[in-house]
Amino acid sequence: MTRIACFSVPMFPLAARLRSEPDLLQEAVVIVDGNGNHAHVVAATRRARKKGIHPGLSLPQARSVLPKLIARGRDAACERTAQEALLEAAEMLSPRLEDAGDGVVFVDVTGTERHFATEEELGRSAIRAIEAVGLPARAGIAASKLAARIAAELPKTPTVVPPGEEMRFLAPLPLARLSPELEAAAMLERFGLKSIGDLARLPENEIASRLGEIGRQLHFAARGIDPRPLIPRPIPPAFREGMELEWPLVSLEPFLFIASAAFDRLRQRMESQGFSCTRIELNLTLEPDGYDARVLDLPAPTRDAKTILTLLRLDLEKRPPGAPVIGFTLVAHPDRPRRAQLSLFGPTALSPDKLATTIARLISMLGEERAGMPVTVDGHLPERHSLAPFSPPPPPDTRREPPRARGLLMPRLFRPPLPVDVTAEGNRIASIRGETIAGNVRVCSGPWHIEEGWWRDAPAEREYWDVELWEGGIYRVYRSEGEQEGKEWFVDARFGV
Amino acid sequence: MAATARRLESQFRLPMTAIPVLVPALPSVESAPFEAVEAFRKGLDVRIGAQLTSGSELLRALDLRRSEQVLPTALPSLDALLDGGLPRGKVIEIAGRGARLSVVIAALAAATSTGEAAALIDTGDAFDPQLGEAAGIDLRRLLWVRPRKLREAAAAAELVIATGFQLVAVDAGLPPLRGRVPDAAWVRLARAAEAHGTALLVSAPYPLTGTTSEAMLRAEPSRGQWRGPLLTGVDLALRLEKHRRKRPGGCARVQFRVAEAT
Repeated sequence: MTRIACFSVPMFPLAARLRSEPDLLQEAVVIVDGNGNHAHVVAATRRARKKGIHPGLSLPQARSVLPKLIARGRDAACERTAQEALLEAAEMLSPRLEDAGDGVVFVDVTGTERHFATEEELGRSAIRAIEAVGLPARAGIAASKLAARIAAELPKTPTVVPPGEEMRFLAPLPLARLSPELEAAAMLERFGLKSIGDLARLPENEIASRLGEIGRQLHFAARGIDPRPLIPRPIPPAFREGMELEWPLVSLEPFLFIASAAFDRLRQRMESQGFSCTRIELNLTLEPDGYDARVLDLPAPTRDAKTILTLLRLDLEKRPPGAPVIGFTLVAHPDRPRRAQLSLFGPTALSPDKLATTIARLISMLGEERAGMPVTVDGHLPERHSLAPFSPPPPPDTRREPPRARGLLMPRLFRPPLPVDVTAEGNRIASIRGETIAGNVRVCSGPWHIEEGWWRDAPAEREYWDVELWEGGIYRVYRSEGEQEGKEWFVDARFGV
Repeated sequence: MAATARRLESQFRLPMTAIPVLVPALPSVESAPFEAVEAFRKGLDVRIGAQLTSGSELLRALDLRRSEQVLPTALPSLDALLDGGLPRGKVIEIAGRGARLSVVIAALAAATSTGEAAALIDTGDAFDPQLGEAAGIDLRRLLWVRPRKLREAAAAAELVIATGFQLVAVDAGLPPLRGRVPDAAWVRLARAAEAHGTALLVSAPYPLTGTTSEAMLRAEPSRGQWRGPLLTGVDLALRLEKHRRKRPGGCARVQFRVAEAT
């Protein structure tokens, strides 16, 4: 028999807000919907409720009761991320779950009895998992979505409805529990029907003839019959966290402070599912109507907060949004972290996770194109080079001896080449003078002609010499016209240092 | 346990031929092995018991051996001078106006050709990947980091060592060096190298690492070798100026040839 668990977050708009601003937990806070004098309270903290503030009051009425009341508007970004966090916590029980929105999730827990001694234990474990992501929760477990939802709304939690006992469970409950938003329930109460059981005992046809299709559905529900199946949600392609800010932020540090808290929540969610992220999107809402989106592609999957926040900082410093920020969303695109097989007898393999973090930190510290795997480039110009993401192959299984060194003399390249003044006698260089290099030439060989890119507008055409100075030092010198304004001679390498 | 072992020994005639050993010449393990293994070992023939190794003993022995190992540079005279190569977990410095970069590249080529991951912290941005590959570097296993200042180079080296690279070469470039690294940073680097078993090779125009290095080699400048009008190579003399475990004064002579002359 199918067993469905419903997890419900009471006062969801408030719970979502308090998850993003935990400092407000002990304050008298209300969440309001609407603007100006039309704003009305939709949820209030315990401290505010004790003072007599309850949902439905207008904000001016609430303020007249408690002048120091903290009011926050409903925050769509907060609620969306809280809902995602709720779904992810519930996903730890079963991959088959339905997102019912507004802090409610249905999970198909059929077959999980092997993992939990009782269904109450299952409910308690789920509540603990949901509380770990910063949300209070209630749980109800039954054979249908309707009974599970009603069970999850009861103060006693978790509530388990045994199989086949749905009708008996619903019977003593007030009619409003069935479908509070339906006026039909209120009408039935005016008929003198107080409980769900009263409705269930009436003939179905009589109810249908008086109330129509809605009445028939209510009668079905009262008997614990719920024909709606559970519709599993697809796996989300990304994790989101974000919030709307109470006041605009104009400087980087306060923004990073808030963003780091949001990313920490994001990291916990990814960690709970064994994911790292390969791509981070930061979407900023700007004052008054602006929007700024930026994307960080990470060299390898990581969830290291320090690295990612440093990359975000660098990106924001390099390209400021240009207007005060009034909201933001962080979107992490998940990927499985890389794993390496350790070797017992061969060279030590690098931990892919550590390596990814190191590369990201190096790039954040030095800039792109400053760390990676060197790549050879076809061509003739000696300074050519390229970098690729560093991803070493696995080491061999056994350690082996290195071959004898080839003993190549490595020139030390100057990037960019140093401009010099040269005194030449025919094809022989007699002396060179530059900012850091100067001297008379002892030995000179060359020239060698190099031409590259003749098909381009500005082809490289150079003549190279190797020269050794009397003062010491072997240099590679070349002559090229048009590479730098007014300069013709350059030194691009030194040998033997 | 001993009685059980003896019974087993009597039932199964163990061959008297040499038993194949997976890891030859394992060093002795200081900490006491588990009692059960020890008791089992006592119950066996001495020769067989000596070959018996528990998993934890094996891992500890491998760690110990790895820390005592060296990374050869594949330059025979330099390896002989350094008792086999660059010691793991130690700092080796090459200072002077000789062909330092060629030694660094040879060490990187030797390490990467054995399958080790290595890093080149190239402060002067002087590395040529084409010639590096020609020198024998497996570029897939080389992380090339190009900091602009010496302070960035030290920070990058610390990060890279902590990741587990077995050879990290820091080339400080040519004088004047850009920036300065405080002595405390070299101490940190030396400790990090020791903790992760990394051989840290520092190449600089003048000594930088102070007392933190295991050995300091002076790269003597020399004239180029010319055959007719062509540059063929450079001779390098590496003089051991300091070593913590042997008398200084030794010298290694290495001949480096230009790529076109080989």
